[in-house]
Parts: sequence; structure tokens; C-alpha cells
Amino acid sequence: MTGQAGQGKKPRPGHRKVAQWTRDYERLPGISDEFIAQDGTPREVWTRFFEAFGGLAPAEIERRFGSADRHLREAGVTYRAPGEIADRIWPLSHVPLLIDESEWQQISAAVTQRAGLLEKILGDLYGDACLIASGALPAAAIAGSSEYLRAMRGVKPPGGRYLNVYAADLGRGPDGRWWVLGDRTQAPSGMGYALENRLVLSRAFTDLYKSMNVERVAPFFEAFRDSLRASADRDEPRVGLLSPGPFSETYFEHATLARYLGFLLVEGDDLAVSGDRVHIRTVAGLKRLDVLLRRVDANSLDPLELDASSQLGVPGLIDVVRKNGVVVANMPGSGVMEARALLGFLPSLSQKLLGEPLKMPHIATWWCGQKSAREEVLARLDDFAIEGAYGGAVPGFPGYSPVLPSQLSPDERERLKAAISNRGVDYVGQELVQLSTTPVWDNGRLAPRPFVLRVFAAGTPDGWTIMPGGFCRIADQPDARAVSMGAGARAADVWVVADKAVPASTLLPAVDNVRIRRIAGWVPSRAADNLFWLGRYLERAESTLRLIRALSVPQRDPGKGGATALQSIERIHRMLMTWGATSLTSRSQPAKVAAQALQSEQQFGSALSLVRSALRTATSLRERLSPDAWQVITEMAERLAHEVEDDDDVVSAAELTLQELASFAGLAQENMNRAAGWRFLEMGRRAERAINTTRFARQFACDEATSDDLDILLTLVDCQITYRSRYLVGPLLAPVRDLVVLDPYNPRSVAFQVSALNDHIASLPALKENGLMERPQRLAVALRSSLVTGEASEIHTKSLFALEQDLLTLADSIGLHYFPHGASASRPEKLTGLA
Amino acid sequence: MIYEIRHVTTYSYESPVSYARCSLRLQPNSSAGQQLVSHSVDIKPLPAARAMRTDFFGTPTESVLIETPHRVLRIDSRSRVYVERFAPGRGDDSPAWESVREASFDSNDLSGASPIGYVFASPLVPIIDAVTDYAAVSFTEGRGILAGAVDLMHRIRTEFKYDPKATVISTPLQEVLDKRHGVCQDFAHIMIAGMRGLGLPAAYVSGYLRTIPPEGKERLQGADATHAWVSVWCGEELGWIGFDPTNDILVENDHIVLAIGRDFSDVSPVDGVIVGARKQKLAVAVDVLLLE
Repeated sequence: MTGQAGQGKKPRPGHRKVAQWTRDYERLPGISDEFIAQDGTPREVWTRFFEAFGGLAPAEIERRFGSADRHLREAGVTYRAPGEIADRIWPLSHVPLLIDESEWQQISAAVTQRAGLLEKILGDLYGDACLIASGALPAAAIAGSSEYLRAMRGVKPPGGRYLNVYAADLGRGPDGRWWVLGDRTQAPSGMGYALENRLVLSRAFTDLYKSMNVERVAPFFEAFRDSLRASADRDEPRVGLLSPGPFSETYFEHATLARYLGFLLVEGDDLAVSGDRVHIRTVAGLKRLDVLLRRVDANSLDPLELDASSQLGVPGLIDVVRKNGVVVANMPGSGVMEARALLGFLPSLSQKLLGEPLKMPHIATWWCGQKSAREEVLARLDDFAIEGAYGGAVPGFPGYSPVLPSQLSPDERERLKAAISNRGVDYVGQELVQLSTTPVWDNGRLAPRPFVLRVFAAGTPDGWTIMPGGFCRIADQPDARAVSMGAGARAADVWVVADKAVPASTLLPAVDNVRIRRIAGWVPSRAADNLFWLGRYLERAESTLRLIRALSVPQRDPGKGGATALQSIERIHRMLMTWGATSLTSRSQPAKVAAQALQSEQQFGSALSLVRSALRTATSLRERLSPDAWQVITEMAERLAHEVEDDDDVVSAAELTLQELASFAGLAQENMNRAAGWRFLEMGRRAERAINTTRFARQFACDEATSDDLDILLTLVDCQITYRSRYLVGPLLAPVRDLVVLDPYNPRSVAFQVSALNDHIASLPALKENGLMERPQRLAVALRSSLVTGEASEIHTKSLFALEQDLLTLADSIGLHYFPHGASASRPEKLTGLA
Repeated sequence: MIYEIRHVTTYSYESPVSYARCSLRLQPNSSAGQQLVSHSVDIKPLPAARAMRTDFFGTPTESVLIETPHRVLRIDSRSRVYVERFAPGRGDDSPAWESVREASFDSNDLSGASPIGYVFASPLVPIIDAVTDYAAVSFTEGRGILAGAVDLMHRIRTEFKYDPKATVISTPLQEVLDKRHGVCQDFAHIMIAGMRGLGLPAAYVSGYLRTIPPEGKERLQGADATHAWVSVWCGEELGWIGFDPTNDILVENDHIVLAIGRDFSDVSPVDGVIVGARKQKLAVAVDVLLLE
């Protein structure tokens, strides 16, 4: 490979570095590597990549890595390790896994073949089970899997196929060939992360990405989306992605995929069975759902027929599938093909069903349910890794790792032998293999690390489509058998490198960018509920911050105020207390009160707590918020948590946060699709602002208000300038009341909010068909009339109190009317007892 | 023998239930040793929809949808069943239990009747070493499957205390084993778990017992409610044989089979989800009369 220098050309700058990296690269003995082939020479694609890479100055390389990391952080690409509560930032390896096109074609052909084989076997198992009756496959290899769903026996899959998406985990064997390590047929994860990895890396290395002729992944996603849509039995189908919810380890991925594919992100509670169909609860009532792409395991799909304790499913869903009323992808029960017990039978099944041998081998596996295999495993126990025959843990042994008999104590070894003798069906012995390695960038040099490549196949009407690329997980330990995204592992983008330029139509870098589609149809009730509360939390945070600022500012300006100002300060303090922002008593220093109201974690009404509540709510809305909007909220929560030093810091933190809140409002106003829930965010904000403004007015424009009080009120509702431009006198009660409560032109007045609420409610669908005005609208219209016809001279403390009560009633009625199935609704429960 | 069975299930709720979706397994099957003569189920309030199907295990299962708000759900099932069954003697010859295990592992049938469906852990019956060890005492090397199962059944009857207040549906198996008490459901689950731990096929049976015993015989435990026992696959020739560990008897003409499954969760006579109840109370009344 150093021959090029001798051709008389000036050596490329990256050349020498690559030679150095190659020399320093310590391949693990006896293990295949992606960068350096079996014969010790670097593979051609890698040389090309590293030469271009090496042409960058070290500082530039670091800058690009930094930009990739920044993007991940800003886009909020996260996952959660099992047992953890906080999200982790996605750990992306900066070096992609490179595979050249000719090798990829072999992988692609093998995965296509395997997907087709598994689909055929599933059709037989849930159909007339000829493979079982003929003895080609022992019944025990199937019956032991908890994913063999008896309820699905004899049910034809709606939409015509069992597997809409299939994934194979691959590694390179010691002989240099690719091997299948495992099959994913239930609900393979990683597609959405693969998409994000591509997005990030193609941005950080735009020039490299272009010059390397990397196959684009976007056409795969389009084919996948179109096939799912086509599987429905009507023209404009509604497709949902069923997620276990924000507590799922891969919720971010569910949101990414839903947004990218234009599907509704739904949870079990959002769906209801009615008639022989599945419906989604929306703000316009129940709407039929045609296709459900599930990320919920099959056994959790229906508490009525499957796992009774599941809270993730939809009661009655299985019966709808039985009646061909909804396409569920993958078909419930497909997960049975993940059982290791099946592996040993696949080569002969391939011959039998496809008439050809398997194109790619898998790890040699002995299923102990068969006498001969069991005897062999027991005889050469130390030569095997013992695994559960149906996935998951090894029965009788803790944890999820395989059991290595050579490492067991004599007692444990006997226990294992007895278990295999009694219940051989539960165990497989697998040949001991080590994962092959791929280079990672480690402090300025390249180092080999074990990896697993997950390749995705989508079932389309024209056969299987393979994603050119995939999801690559890399272990941080040089010695690894399995890689999960737990602690220490990282992910890598996978570049399939073509010999020629990839088709021009997909050459634009924008092709792989997230394509935001308009989410069709009505907003699901839960999303609307969350949007409404997101609006309310943010507006309440704003009001609280304004109070904090008002509390702090006079302290810095001793010239202002005096005895009367003290009274105003007490009013502010009292408000912060009733809102749960502070627990300090009235004799405390205002500065301490302000600091607590700003960032106490114990106070549910502190600005920090409110912003965190908003963030929590926004987490369930990931697929509906733009990355910018998401970023504003996360930054706000992070920054507010930093402890402030003194009064000045309190004021500047409050002011900065107010600016961020304004920029979020601006983003929502300018960027949010009006059809998809924006109204509910707006309604939440308007309702909360109307309530808070009325409360401010009741406190600071009460019948006994001083001019200091009125002055504070004008500041709180941001009306100082308007007031001064309109009146040449200092603050007086009636004009201030008019401006703050009744003025329809003042965007901060109560009347303005109520008018906006009226407009929103009027544009929402009626749920009843009797032509009568519904309750939220009745309340809103009545409120508007009283404000439109009201006069400042008629306003008193008492009437302000009544107005506040009416506004609270209106906000509640919106919740009851549009989100009857929201978080507070009663959920279905099981009948209990030994009936 | 012909039995007339009345089985009334009543759920009372603290607050109105607006929606209920239930699965009923109340129709006795016509199967080996028994024949259904007549059957009807009355439901109050009147359901919006009722549909009958046969589930994987061959049990007639009725899906019921109720959309009328109600505080009481009453399901009144009446059946008439002809029973004529022959049980083997407790001491009869049978194949060695190890060979029964191997035969079930080699099964080439995936249907509900296949022994292989009853060898594995199921939702309510995990395989626990302690339970397996308990059962292993009855299955010495080369012992006949029938003799082993009879011995295990007898040990459960003598070593466990029948106590209707001791357990609820969710009592874990380990606790039943530790405290050595429970009801018919627990004893059935213990026997099933122990046998499956050894790789032997054992199924859960729900059904009824005749209420008034034949003259000169004692009244059987569990006769005033639905009963549960175990069906063991004893090899190709003997097939499935019923063992009632609560009463230490082989199942013959005093038992009426309602449904067979892997455990209670497959055969629950009344199962469902409801919306709205804060608290629920269940009452079950069973009456089994011998007509002739």
C-alpha cells in the first residue's frame, strides 16, 4: 500500500499518518478485524477513508468530532441504560464502520434470504404446522418460547405478512466470513438511532461523506413507510407507532422514527377498541387506526388475552387482529423466531422451504431438547457457552449473560448438568466465539474494539429491502461476547461504500436530513393534554420569574420606594408563597425569598420546578417539538439549576430565563404546525396568563392599591410603556385596571387572552352532533361578553376574584372536554378474584 | 351420570362501571369422558355484543362487551353434562417417567392437546428449584409415571393444609411451598410446577365437583365453588389422566371439566377489564346436582 509514493506523485498528506496508524494498530490475535484483513494488509475502503481523514489537521479532526458531539447533545439524542432514570447522551464513535459494496451485496443477499425463510416458517407455525408434523422442526423448539402466542394460532396476519421489519445481528467469524449472531423478529430497535448516527456523521464529515460514495439510507425508510401504509385496507391509512412511553430505554428512537416516518406516536392508553377496530382517542373523538408499528413486546399488547398485568397494551387488541381489523407490525407472535433452539434447524429448513443452502452461517448451536445434542453438550461441556434456548436468561442462573461451564464452581457445574439432564429443552450449547473488531479513535490513534452490526430488512410488496448501512454497537472492552447499549458501549454509523458515485438524485446532503412531515389529522388527546400543560407550566414559570424580578429590583434602587414599597413587597412575597415558590415567612429577606423562588428543588412552584415540569411534559411530546424548541427548554432547565451567587445573579438569571421563554414562544408561534396541536399549547398559555394576570390585578389593583402597587402591576404585566404613552399622570386605579383587564388591544390583558381562547375553541371540532354549544365554548363566550361590555369603573376586588374563579372553571372544562382520557382519567383495570 | 350445574358470578363495584370487556369460559367441553347436554349464560346488564369462539386449548370462549353503566355484573351460567369416565387404579403399571419426558420432548404436535405445551413454565407457574426438588422425591429412577404422580398427589394432600383464607390468586408459588397451605388452585399449581421441573407434561384443569357425596362418602373439598386439579400426560398409550391433589383422588365421575390450560390464567372462568370501578367485590356460587 506504500506503492503510491514510488509512482513519482507527491505523497498525499494523510498518507504518512495512515502508515503510522496502521503500524500502531494492535490487532487482537485470532480475531477478524474490519480495518486490517486476514492477510495483514488494510482493506481498500479503510485506506481511502483514513487517507482523507489523515489529510485533516489534528485540530480540525477534533473540531469535527466536537461538532458531532454538540449536535448529539443539542438534538437531545439519548438513550437510557436499564435501571437508570436519567437519559444519557448517545455515545457515537466518530469513525464509521466501512463496508465495500461487493461485500455488502453478499450481506444483503444473505439477510434477504434469511428474512424470507423466517417469514415462511412463521406462516407454517401459526398455520397448519406442517413443519412440525413432518418432523422437520420439533414442537418443543417452538412451544417453549413465551413468544409463541397460542392466541395467534390459525389467525391470518392482517396485511398479509408476519415480518414487516427484520434485523440480523452480524459479526465476522475467525475465517473472515460474516456470521449471523442472532435474529430480531419481535420489534427490532436501532433503526432510528442508525438514522441519527448518519445525520450527525454526514454533517460532521460532509466532504468525506460525499467523496466516499456512501449509499444513502433514506430510500430504505421511504420503502418501509410506504409498505406499512400499503398494508392497510384503505386509501389514506392512519399509522401509529406504539411505544411503551417516555420510560422506555429507547423512547427517543420511537419519537425520532415517528417524526421521520410521519406516524403518530401513541401509547396503549391512547388507543381503544370499538366495534372490530382499533381507534385512537383524539380531541375530535375516536378515529380509526389502520396500522400499528409496535415497539411493545407482543405479550404486553393486550391485558385481556395476554399478560394480564400489562399496562402498555390495549384491551381487546388481539381480538381485533383476529378479525382482521388492524395491521400490527410485526405480527404478534413473530418474536418466536428469536429462539436459539431454532438455529440448528435453519440450514435444513432453508433447503426444504427455499431449495437452497443458507447464504450466511450462524453460530454453531446444539439444542439440548434433542437427545443426541444433549449428550454431546454434556460430554464436552467446557467447549460450549450455555444459553437459554428461547432467549433471555439461562434458566436457573442469574443475569442475562451466557454461562461458561469452565468458569463454574464444581457445585454449580453439577447443578447445570442436572438442569440440562432434566430439562434439556431449555438450554442450548453454543460454540465459543469472539466478536470481530473495528477501529475506534482513541486519543489520536486507532484501536480495535469488538462490535456487532445490526442489518435491517423491510418487507415490501416487491420483496425485501435492505437498509444499506445499519446500526453498529461497539464494546469498550477488547474482549466481548455481547454488546448492548449499557454502560461503556458506543454506537457507530455504517457506511456502505460504492465503487461508483451513488445515484445523483440522492447525492444532496439534505436527503438524509430529518424530513418533518405534517402529522395528519387530529391531535391525540394525550398529546393535546400534554401540550396544554406545557403551555401552562411555561406561562406559570414566566409569571413567577416576573414576581422574582419585581421582588429583587427595588432592592438595588434605594432611591425608590419607602414605607409603602414595603407593603408591595409583602404582597409579592405572599403570592410566591401561595404559588408554592417559597416557604420562607414574611420576615425573611427578599433576596433569600427570590433565590428560593428561583431555584429551590423542594418548592414545587419555584421557577426551576416549573421549568422541569415543562421539560417532563415536553419529553412526551418529542416527536411534535422542533429540535430548536427542545433545545431551549433543556438549556433553560440546565441553566436554572446552577446555583446563583448574589442578588444580581438572581435578577440576571430571571431575566435570561424570561428571554428564553420568549424565544420558545416565538419558535412555537413561527414554527409550529397550526394543524398539529399548536392550538392546545396556545390555549394552555392563554388560560394560564389570563388566570395569573387576574390574580396580579386582584393583588396590586385591589380597592386599596397604592401607586407603588399599581406601578409593580404595570411592570409585572409588561405595560409600563403602553401606560406612559397613553396617560401623562402616574398610575391611577381605573386606567390601570382598564389596561390590564379590559383592553382588547393589549396582548397582556385578560380580555385579550379570553378573546384568543374563544377563537381557538371555535376552531376545534364539536364532539356532539346536537348543535348545542359545548361547555368550554359556553363559558368562554360568556366571559368574553362580560369583558367586552365591562367598564373599568365596575371593577372591584370582589369582581376580580369572581373573574379569576370563572377563568379557572374554563381551564378545567377544556381539560375535561378534550382530554377525558388524559393522565387523570380512570384506566381499565382487571376483574380480580378467583371467579 | 348427568349433572345439573348452576354457576353464578357476581361482581359488585363501589362506583359505576361504564365499560366492561370480558372473556367467559363457562361452557363445559364435550371431551373424553363427558358430553355437554345443554348450556346457557344470562348476563346482567345486557351486553352490547356477545361472540363465541373456541380458544387454542379447545375451550369455548365467549367475548362479551358491556357498555351500559352498572354497579353489579351478574353472570348466571347453567349447564347439563353427562359424565362417564374410567380412571386407572392407583397401583396400575405405567411407563417409566423418564421415557414419558423424552416422548414429550420429541412430540411433533403443536396443538392444544400436545403434551409439549405443558412442559414449560407458564404465566402463573414458574419453574422453581425448591418445588422441583420437592417433586423429585416421588420420581425415583425408573419409577412408573402413574405411581410417581399418585405419590406426589398423596404427599401434597397430607403435607399441605387446606385453608381458603391463606392465599389469593397472586400468592407466589414459593410462598405456598414455604407455608404449606392454600386452596385447590395452589395445590394444582404446586403439583404442575414440580412435574414440569422434571420435564413432565402437566396441565391445569378448572371444573366442578358434585356437591352432595354418594351415600357413605365424605363431602369433597371445594364442592361449593369452582374446583381445580391436574391432568398429567402419562405417555402415548395412557394419554391424559386427572389427579386431584386437594382430595388425593384420581379424577373419575365426580368431576366435571370446564376448561384445560397451562395454568389458571388460561382457563379463568370469568376474566375481563372494566373502567370506572374503584373497588370490586366478587361472589361466586356453585351448585352441582346429580340428576341420575
